[in-house]
Amino acid sequence: MLCAAPGSTDMSAFESDLSAQESSVPARVGSQVMTTEPAAETPEQRAARFEQDALEYLDPLYAAALRMTRNPADAEDLVQETFAKAFAAFHQYKQGTNLKAWLYRILTNTFINSYRKRQREPQQAMTEEVEDWQIARAESHTSSGLKSAEAEALERLPDSDVKEALQRIPDDFRMAVYLADVEGFAYKEIAEIMGTPVGTVMSRLHRGRRMLREMLTDYARDRGLAAAGAERSSGDKA
Amino acid sequence: MSCGQPHDKDCGEVLNSLFLFLDNELDSASCREIQQHLDECAPCLAKYDLEHVVKRLVARSCGEHAPDSLRQRVLVQIRQVHVEITEARRPGLSS
Repeated sequence: MLCAAPGSTDMSAFESDLSAQESSVPARVGSQVMTTEPAAETPEQRAARFEQDALEYLDPLYAAALRMTRNPADAEDLVQETFAKAFAAFHQYKQGTNLKAWLYRILTNTFINSYRKRQREPQQAMTEEVEDWQIARAESHTSSGLKSAEAEALERLPDSDVKEALQRIPDDFRMAVYLADVEGFAYKEIAEIMGTPVGTVMSRLHRGRRMLREMLTDYARDRGLAAAGAERSSGDKA
Repeated sequence: MSCGQPHDKDCGEVLNSLFLFLDNELDSASCREIQQHLDECAPCLAKYDLEHVVKRLVARSCGEHAPDSLRQRVLVQIRQVHVEITEARRPGLSS
């Protein structure tokens, strides 16, 4: 996976199109005439194309929505709303550009504009408190040897612990980490999906991953995994 | 407290680029430099491993399938929006 060329997907189709998403869907679309897509495409054909191409991303969008909303009922509503908006705006989607990223952007916008407001979590305050992301330089190397044991211990954590840790970091950090690690989007794409500069994406990734790593280390210790790993590396019998 | 060996690239520089490296955001020349450093420097490699594990854990833990009922709901809604769009267009097009 290393050294592959950074993914560069054309997301220019995004530009301003998605601002249309927030208005009443059918009225908006009804007033527009499609101009871009294959001239001969009928509304029926476009609907069929949407069902075929966009529905493919139902699972990943649902998984992302679950991470965002943190409960299945809201996640389902969010996904449904996302697909309704995406379908209504599908004539604006430029064929050949990254459909998945386009859908993620609608999902993210919808979440930010309607769901997050409702949730009102005290966690949000944490966002600004975490200091500089360039912590790597400041943290000098710690004793080696234990580290690989730590990595080993983390690897043995159950998925439920990882999900719980993700739930506990602020929304913006969680979304950046999710988009990078689960979906493998390039920074530039994440920036476009989240509507922020690339620098902000990097900062969120650094902060989010650091919080995640610290929490996971704690979980591993609580489960006795860290101790087991350390013992093994120092030659003791477990 | 680095490994004590001289490196072409400073440990601090490498650690600052660790996420860029991990996320495939570096050009291939920088990528090779980091890779070479990690091959030579155990402490930096350990840090890289740890971040790599966290990234893999997140990827591993988040695979979820949408319930069938949601797929049905989405399809029904798409068709409903489609009908609304078609009806809204009809008077204007006078077809």
